[in-house]
Amino acid sequence: MSEFNPNILAFCCNWCSYAGADLAGVNRLQMPPNVNVVRVMCSASVKPEYVFKAISQGIDGVLVLGCHIGDCHYLTGNHRTAKRIPLTAKILEKVGIDPRRVQLDWVSAAEGEKFQQVVTQFVDDIRSLGPNPMKEVRF
Amino acid sequence: MRLAFEERGADYLLAIKEAHGQAAPVLLRKGDDAGTMRFDVPYQMTMILTNISRFIKEGRIAVVARRCDERAIAELVKRDLLNHDNLVVIGLACSEEQIRECRCTDPCPSSADIGHCAAPAKEDQAASSIQSMPLPDRLDYWIDQFRKCNKCFGCTLNCPVCFCDDCLLEEKTFTPEKGIPPGLAFHLIRAVHLADKCVECGECERSCPSDIPLLALRKMVNQDMKRMFNYTSGDPERRSPLLTTLEGDPMEDDGDAC
Amino acid sequence: MLRIGVFVCHCGHNIASAVDVDEVVEFARKLPGVVYAGQNLYSCSQEGLGSIKKSIEDNDLNRVVVAACTPRTHEPLFRRACEQAGINKYLFEFVNIREHCSWIHAKEPEAATGKAKKLVAMGVAKASLLEPQEEGESAVIPRAVVIGAGISGLAAAASLLDQGIETHIIESKNCVGGLLREVAVIGPEDIDSRNLINSLEKRLTSSPKAHLHLNSRVKEVKGFVGNFEVTIAKGDEDITVQAGAIIVATGTREFQPAGEYGFDEYPAVITQLELERRLAKSDFAASRMAIINCAGSRQPGREYCSRVCCNASLKNALRILDKNPDAQVTILHRDIMSCGAAAEELYRRASERGVRFVRYGLEKRPQVHAKENGVVLEAFDETLDETIDLDLDLLILATPLVPPEDSVETGKHLKVPRDKYGFFLEAHVKLRPVEFATDGVFVCGSARWPVSARECIWQGQAAAAKASIPISEGKVRIEAITAEVDPDRCAACGNCVLACPYEAIEIVEHLDTMAAKVNEAQCKGCGTCVAACHNDAIQQKGFSSRQLGAMIDALIRTATEGTQ
Repeated sequence: MSEFNPNILAFCCNWCSYAGADLAGVNRLQMPPNVNVVRVMCSASVKPEYVFKAISQGIDGVLVLGCHIGDCHYLTGNHRTAKRIPLTAKILEKVGIDPRRVQLDWVSAAEGEKFQQVVTQFVDDIRSLGPNPMKEVRF
Repeated sequence: MRLAFEERGADYLLAIKEAHGQAAPVLLRKGDDAGTMRFDVPYQMTMILTNISRFIKEGRIAVVARRCDERAIAELVKRDLLNHDNLVVIGLACSEEQIRECRCTDPCPSSADIGHCAAPAKEDQAASSIQSMPLPDRLDYWIDQFRKCNKCFGCTLNCPVCFCDDCLLEEKTFTPEKGIPPGLAFHLIRAVHLADKCVECGECERSCPSDIPLLALRKMVNQDMKRMFNYTSGDPERRSPLLTTLEGDPMEDDGDAC
Repeated sequence: MLRIGVFVCHCGHNIASAVDVDEVVEFARKLPGVVYAGQNLYSCSQEGLGSIKKSIEDNDLNRVVVAACTPRTHEPLFRRACEQAGINKYLFEFVNIREHCSWIHAKEPEAATGKAKKLVAMGVAKASLLEPQEEGESAVIPRAVVIGAGISGLAAAASLLDQGIETHIIESKNCVGGLLREVAVIGPEDIDSRNLINSLEKRLTSSPKAHLHLNSRVKEVKGFVGNFEVTIAKGDEDITVQAGAIIVATGTREFQPAGEYGFDEYPAVITQLELERRLAKSDFAASRMAIINCAGSRQPGREYCSRVCCNASLKNALRILDKNPDAQVTILHRDIMSCGAAAEELYRRASERGVRFVRYGLEKRPQVHAKENGVVLEAFDETLDETIDLDLDLLILATPLVPPEDSVETGKHLKVPRDKYGFFLEAHVKLRPVEFATDGVFVCGSARWPVSARECIWQGQAAAAKASIPISEGKVRIEAITAEVDPDRCAACGNCVLACPYEAIEIVEHLDTMAAKVNEAQCKGCGTCVAACHNDAIQQKGFSSRQLGAMIDALIRTATEGTQ
């Protein structure tokens, strides 16, 4: 059996975490190549539907990254994220999917290193959880 | 219960009447013949109310409502989908049998005009036994359940707080798995949509031709909403925490949340 | 009919060293809707843009995907190229395979190439659902705010005032001039700094359009480009200023090297700024002195070169010799960074006049020992390969410039980033050096990075020039990323109304029923409402659920079908 290479989806807000990811790049901070970033304007625009869609179809993990609370470019956009995404993870747990497959974190535009840490840690976590069981499920 | 008209000054009464040996909802005016009224049949009065209130612009409608109907009405009133001023709620206490069927923990209406309040159910056995399964078993359990789904939309169409005319779940964006059954996302999306408004009336489970324990799933998510945000759907005083800021609705520190 | 063109950039070696561009191009060519796939050495160059435009025309493209660097800096450039080639700029999609791929997976070329393919597949999937958009406009308040009245802020303010723009200058101290006030003479041309400050200050005081707020701080900043609201705390009083643009010129301070080289321990050990203060007095009397350059910089924790210290040391060595021709001055350095002809001349003059240069290293740092009325400096001279002892009256530490303590707060107010040392971080080091990524907020001088007074003035003027663009145009275009409602789908539940951080949505009558409606001028395009809507009835332009859904599908498809 070949080595498990997680396929991970990340939503990064344009103003903080996407810029933080850019900064990680500028500083050449190396990290595992499993995380694929989708740029959104605010983490609060990430519909739980996207997370459910991705997990149901076999994506191994979903990372939602936004500005720190208090630093949201849209004032209080990320306040909603702070509640929606943990609930989304909880609902997954209800049907038997490990809630750790969905993670919310805050990365500012200046936190290239934090982006590296969060990505590296998340990939590690997903590796230890193993492949998303939904991959094998055929309805 | 004509006292709806005299005592509470309603212009209409929405209730269930015996007709041709069946129970059917009727809208009565003052002086109409009520015939034999039925209070023993769980019926989605809220949905009928939402529909008829679009056409009845004037006058107050009295509705015979169980506790869950009352809470569903509160959810709709909060969203300006029903006008509270036009409503008269006549409380109907559910029977023990009904309470058992719904595993209802909140069966007693704010004013029990009809019937007597029976003791609430303790906990939902189905939900707790699912909760106690290890994650892989739990997933297997639900996959087996959801495989039975034939995407009839009975759970959404009969839901008192599902108020969209057309449904996002009909779009292939979110349920791209072709055909039947519709896949896991279908049920997860419904779960999150109902998280801040489900009143546990059990209609989804009753409507389901495949006997998927949907009410158990609702109850599990509602417990999370209570634990994470100290929120209970049907509370007329509280907005959904999922829509407000952290200050407006401080989040409880939930150790195992993300 | 979809006709997508994909352009994969080498970015010289930046992308091509980790990502196999040929392979990505071949992969892209087979994606649904793609009719053209090509590559550029530098897509953003004149040639690169030219070839993209030509391909759009030759292949009749109606969607363009560029896989290169970050949209945060280069998106406007490629959007413009699309417009010039005759297609709506919102039909362009950017895929980041540099910052998010080649640079961070530099040692895994195979994995980096695989990821680049995934990202391109996602970008193409989104591009196939892009729709042309019209941009709205919003008015710009013809007023600017400059934070900091040091030399950079003064230069910026003077330049804005010259253009006739009303300017508010916020200064935390009770006078203008900032750090430069403590420096009497600016090298290498020996400019009198007080004259310089006074002449700039005069341009402020003589203008009726200047409002100088001394002893003031920024308390709160709200709004967005063209329409900021800055609350200034001035004593007990709060003043609110509406402005179209903000310039950050909050400057810097000298690092106090507690515990290093006997600082705090021996009175004979002082910093360079203290030397400046003493040199400004007539009774300066010291004859044996040494200056240690890079004291507290270019070492772990503070790796950067502070840029201004070498020249300051040379200038001050010569000033000491001017005062006392018999003085013995030693400069301990690691590298002398006296860039430019004038500074190099300063270095030559210092050598000629007998300033002794000793090169030291971090492994054998100079040691300071106690002595009556001074210190003894024991230093290992790397050039001579031997240890020397210097009897000193005064030991000067040329310490680096560091950000002011309140820069954290300033950054938070303005929602602008800082680097790991705490200096503000511009949008792009080469392409947008005086701008922040946040529209309408600009940066200049040592708030960004230690720079000389001369560079402070240049940057101040550059920031003013940039800030004056939206102000003189009188309007800014609103990016077409606002939310819009499909009233036929809308159930009027009000979720979006409640979720919107800007109160930009209301429920209005639509036909015979009710539906939500977005006030486009108030909408900032965050998409919070989109996630709140249960029926997908509200969508953000350029980020629709179909588009993002297609990206997720593409990621899943590429993972299961492989990237061949």
